[in-house]
Amino acid sequence: MAVLINKNTNVIVQGITGTMGGTHARLMKAYGTNIVAGVTPGKGGQDFEGIPVFDTVYETTKHFRVDCSVIFVPPYFALDAALEAIEAGIPLISVITEGLPPQDAVKLHAAAKANGTLVNGPNCPGIITPGECLIGIHPGSIYKPGKIGLISRSGTLTYEIGLGLKQADIGISTAIGIGGDPIIGIDQIKSLELFQNDPETEMIILVGEIGGSAEEEAAEYIKSNVRKPVIGYVAGVTAPPGKRMGHAGAIIAGNKGTAKSKREAFEAANVKVADTPYEIIDLVKQELAILA
Amino acid sequence: MRLFEFEAKELFRELGIPTPVGQTIKCAEEVFSIPAKSFPKTLKTQVLSGGRGKAGGIKFADNQEDAYHKAQAIFKLPIKGELPKTILVEPKVTIKKEIYLAILIDRAYRGPILMASAEGGIEIETSENIQIVPVPGANYSNFYARELAAKVGLQGLQLIKFAAIVDKLWQVWTKFDCDLAEINPLIIDGDDNFIALDGKVTLNEDSTGRHPRFAGQLVNHLSDFGDREFRGKMCGLNIVELEGNIGILCNGAGLTMATMDLVLHKGGKPSNFLDVGGGANKDHVKRALDLVSSSDDVKVLLVNILGGITACDEVAAALAYYKEIRPDAKMVVRLVGNNEDKAKAIMDKAGITMTNILEKAVEEAVSLAAKA
Repeated sequence: MAVLINKNTNVIVQGITGTMGGTHARLMKAYGTNIVAGVTPGKGGQDFEGIPVFDTVYETTKHFRVDCSVIFVPPYFALDAALEAIEAGIPLISVITEGLPPQDAVKLHAAAKANGTLVNGPNCPGIITPGECLIGIHPGSIYKPGKIGLISRSGTLTYEIGLGLKQADIGISTAIGIGGDPIIGIDQIKSLELFQNDPETEMIILVGEIGGSAEEEAAEYIKSNVRKPVIGYVAGVTAPPGKRMGHAGAIIAGNKGTAKSKREAFEAANVKVADTPYEIIDLVKQELAILA
Repeated sequence: MRLFEFEAKELFRELGIPTPVGQTIKCAEEVFSIPAKSFPKTLKTQVLSGGRGKAGGIKFADNQEDAYHKAQAIFKLPIKGELPKTILVEPKVTIKKEIYLAILIDRAYRGPILMASAEGGIEIETSENIQIVPVPGANYSNFYARELAAKVGLQGLQLIKFAAIVDKLWQVWTKFDCDLAEINPLIIDGDDNFIALDGKVTLNEDSTGRHPRFAGQLVNHLSDFGDREFRGKMCGLNIVELEGNIGILCNGAGLTMATMDLVLHKGGKPSNFLDVGGGANKDHVKRALDLVSSSDDVKVLLVNILGGITACDEVAAALAYYKEIRPDAKMVVRLVGNNEDKAKAIMDKAGITMTNILEKAVEEAVSLAAKA
């Protein structure tokens, strides 16, 4: 079952004839994702390695049931592409693009909210339900199907944990890369809600990082709403204040958004917190033993 | 990208926000071209760091001679290490009331907020009377500004005039893709005019690419940056300086932070944050290696790459090159993922050992740094 995407999800790729879009459309298709169509304005009627290309998102919805659009267009065009997908009534949109201007992000999320569209990202690796469906840029081979839900603001750190789990022969239900920007769509709380309600997810790993107060808010949510075990991790203990640590959202402002504050919030919500990425695997093993 | 006050005020005037009518000077002698009759004046140092008033960077001058000596002093006065290239000379104004006004994106509201305080001219972080009006979806209308005006206690014509200033500041904020547009203080003068006495504008760096007027401007607007950070900005490498001795080169912001934290956890000290990004090629990694190792403090390089879209062999090729030009450099390398086997062959040939276990790599780096 998993969450958000599965083997029946029909996906379109916006920006399919671009370098990023093309590369990852190929990788997603090879993984087994149902890529039903691609969209590139001006290239309608062409064919991308067997995938039909259309000029507009709306046209793809006339030919297929489209459940999800993955957006690989450059930052200054991403808002327009996302608005097009929202307007076409696509229920789930994943914006992989990094560097979306914040003022565009505000407009994107306002439109999504008004239309009831779920937006993953921007600046994210996408979502994967191992063995069934991959949207975005996760390296598919790093994950094994299983019962752990994985939520993370970071890309490669998510892969690190997925790989560690796989080496320990532990699989995941779905991994949601929620993105590293200050303003994102599907956030930690939404992801927690999805995993709490998913009968096939037994445990949740929540990977946070410095900046903002999303982890603190997630901790409050966990206290009253999440009954499954949650393992936490917070990156950025060594981050100095006032410096943007790569992700636009990873910045300690004043004394707010520190790793310490997030860790304490997690612990207060009975979330077991790992000191290192590989300690996450040990904590998962311990919890699995308790569940068994 | 933080703008200088005189630049912020140019944007203000362009969209109709009144400012004092000033001029900029590049050397103290220029004060003699200012009409003697127009004195007294205010001289304001143009630096990007805050706290210039307290540090002596703002002075009043009664006449040309006075201004000349004070300008000389200001040009020699560094503010938090930053020397001014420009002084803004403005007429003195009478101040009846000072207000703080700002527009910025607030993460908690997922959108822009209007922010004001009836106590202007102060460090806003310490003010307790800040009023906030969120603008959901950035769908602005004048009533948000009137709401804010009422919240800070303005009435009658002052309420209407203040709201008109907010309208214009909103236009500045949207037109130039600002992270922050701030007027502190916004003053009401003796004739009940609203005037922006100071201006602070921070442009969003992801957005400057769609504003040709700011092209190539970043180099003139960097302050409070370490040497490697400055050079990193210039060549598109994302580096943050710390005080340790283990140079870090990773891909992905989260993994980079996790690697640094792991170094600390194992008793070592990271020298920097450097994320080479996704899909980095050989040349990009070469530049990153040069940048990280350019600090004398760096005793060991720790490279941690998890190849998703990044190909490990591209990274390995850059490492092999680095080993050739710096045979004595101490390097610990963890490469895993995409093209790992090809990378292994390149590394073997270059005589660099690599591991695919992160913990092992970090422990080795910490141990090497302790011996150095």
